[in-house]
Amino acid sequence: MYDQAELGAAVDQNSTKISARNVQVYYGDTHAIKDVNVDIDAKAVTAFIGPSGCGKSTFLRCINRMNDTIDVCRVKGDILIDGEDIYDKRVDPVQLRAKVGMVFQKPNPFPKSIYDNIAYGPRIHGLAKNKADLDDIVEKSLRRGAIWDEVKDRLHAPGTGLSGGQQQRLCIARAVATEPEVLLMDEPCSALDPIATAQVEELIDELRHQYSVVIVTHSMQQAARVSQKTAFFHLGNLVEFGETSQIFTNPKDERTESYITGRIG
Amino acid sequence: MTDASLPTGGAKPQSGSLTTVDARTKKRNAAEKRFRAYGVAAISTGILFLIVLLFSIVTSGIGAFQQTFITVPVYLDEAKLDKKGNRNIDDIKKVSTFGYNPLIQKAVLKSVQDAGIETPLTKSKQMKALISASAAGQVRAAVIDNPALIGQTVEFKFLASSRVDGYLKDRVKREHLARDKNIDAEHLDIVDGLQDAGVLAKTFNPAFIFGADASESRAEQAGIGVAMLGSLFMMFVVLFLALPLGVAASIYLEEFAPKNRLTDLIEVNISNLAAVPSIVFGILGLAVFIQFMHLPQSAPLVGGLVLTLMTLPTIIISTRASLKSVPPSIRDAALGVGASKMQSVFHHVLPLAAPGILTGTIIGLAQALGETAPLLLIGMVGYIASNAPDGIASGLLDPNSAMPAQIYEWAKRADPAYYERAWGGIIILLVFLISMNTLAVILRRRFERRW
Repeated sequence: MYDQAELGAAVDQNSTKISARNVQVYYGDTHAIKDVNVDIDAKAVTAFIGPSGCGKSTFLRCINRMNDTIDVCRVKGDILIDGEDIYDKRVDPVQLRAKVGMVFQKPNPFPKSIYDNIAYGPRIHGLAKNKADLDDIVEKSLRRGAIWDEVKDRLHAPGTGLSGGQQQRLCIARAVATEPEVLLMDEPCSALDPIATAQVEELIDELRHQYSVVIVTHSMQQAARVSQKTAFFHLGNLVEFGETSQIFTNPKDERTESYITGRIG
Repeated sequence: MTDASLPTGGAKPQSGSLTTVDARTKKRNAAEKRFRAYGVAAISTGILFLIVLLFSIVTSGIGAFQQTFITVPVYLDEAKLDKKGNRNIDDIKKVSTFGYNPLIQKAVLKSVQDAGIETPLTKSKQMKALISASAAGQVRAAVIDNPALIGQTVEFKFLASSRVDGYLKDRVKREHLARDKNIDAEHLDIVDGLQDAGVLAKTFNPAFIFGADASESRAEQAGIGVAMLGSLFMMFVVLFLALPLGVAASIYLEEFAPKNRLTDLIEVNISNLAAVPSIVFGILGLAVFIQFMHLPQSAPLVGGLVLTLMTLPTIIISTRASLKSVPPSIRDAALGVGASKMQSVFHHVLPLAAPGILTGTIIGLAQALGETAPLLLIGMVGYIASNAPDGIASGLLDPNSAMPAQIYEWAKRADPAYYERAWGGIIILLVFLISMNTLAVILRRRFERRW
């Protein structure tokens, strides 16, 4: 897929994968996201942190247009992926979501077999020509989701029978099965115990070599551990965005400092 | 311990000991006990009523499944049935049932005499009260079916008249005979004698389950079978119209429709429609399907259409409830891997909602199966002397009744023999309803998936 040299180059260049310009989001009369501008790097992990209700999940859901499913939600401004505006009239959100995968807060495997969970995306997008192809994709995805060894003997057991951490890794594997370029994660570890969390975090670190990962998290330690860039949201504003190390050690904004030291939030 | 909260002196703990129950706790516990007692009382009352209901239905209705039959050898006299003696089927058909009655009555009298019963009734005409009026038709049909029987003595199993049947079932009592013009004490003596001789017996009567309705004066002949077919055809119409329409409407309203005033209005109206009295649907059906569209009266097709209108709101409401109960995370998951809205609904939401939809549909069908009021208005109640339909078209379009309408019809007829048949019909209807509801429960258990 990507050889190592290309991969290194991409990271070095810090090329921008997603750029948001003057993004406003309204829920009915509520102004949920106020004028957010941010550039998200390719092949890196970007963390969104902030107190509850600050709009970080809302903004995340704008990137694959999941907010389209909410009737009262309106999005203004531009979000560009590889220079293309995803809110352009010609863009089909279904096609976009194949390119921008998403992992949700609560593990939500389909109530089907592990195999069918992974195979569903490739099937509807026609990624496999035959059964062998599909088997390959399933195995590759499960390996990328770091869950292959645990489930290879019971691919036809229901996905809902796995433990919480395994389910979440299954969901990550399902998301990567459609060959996305961006992976959005909405508090992927909030329903998991510390051991499962550690496994998922390790996996996220692996994934950034191939995907641009954007993760929303409530845990500042998690943001510090897994991300290269961090954005701090507060009351719908993007307060500060920068290198993770800088945000956590030397925040420029007073509000960021208050939040990471536990005074607001 | 009412003073527990009052300040007390010394080292005594202010809240009192945990091993003694204070007044407030006592009161709360008593309230809880009372409430439990109310609940138990309510449930026991319900169960008691159910038992009484079932007991009375079974005791009153079980008799309808048995009928009194008289088995007699009938001499099919050639001189009466085929005067020309050439076995020409057209000539044989010219002899009406009136021609057969004397032969049958003679045969019964002969049986009575053979059994050695002493009776002042010596004329064969006087045997008429023992035999169902259907006997002549039965013999005539057998003769037309096989003219070679003429001239022979053939054994027939006739229905006894409803009075005789009632006497065996304790419905007709000797002390009531003074008021009864249809049967005398002498007849009942004969019945006792024939019963001892084994000529007359009460046996299981499949014709009640499979037969057609009969006229007022032939209660012993009436069966619910044709009405059952009428109900069956109506249920097919309801199933094939209400299920697809209802499910499509619910999926659209629940998953695709924008939330605005129009859809709100539609939603409110669907809920209201579910509460509309069914007779209103009946008059709507009369106006639209019969008077405006000129569909035939009393036809199961029209009945099915009316019941479809009545069942649709039930199916839509239950389908929407089961679609709503599918967690949104499943929809998110499907959309998240790039499924279109329709794919997410049809691949993931609908299969999960299916047990609920099926249950709702079966409950709706059961409701429609037991519905009588709308059928009153489209002419499916009354004496509809129909034979069993011989195909799908005639099943849908020929006049027919339905089970509950048939029961209603029997219940309002004068002959007390019909009262028993009404209860018997209720037993059959309840068996259908219970099996449908059991099916609903089984489907729900079987296909319910957890997530």
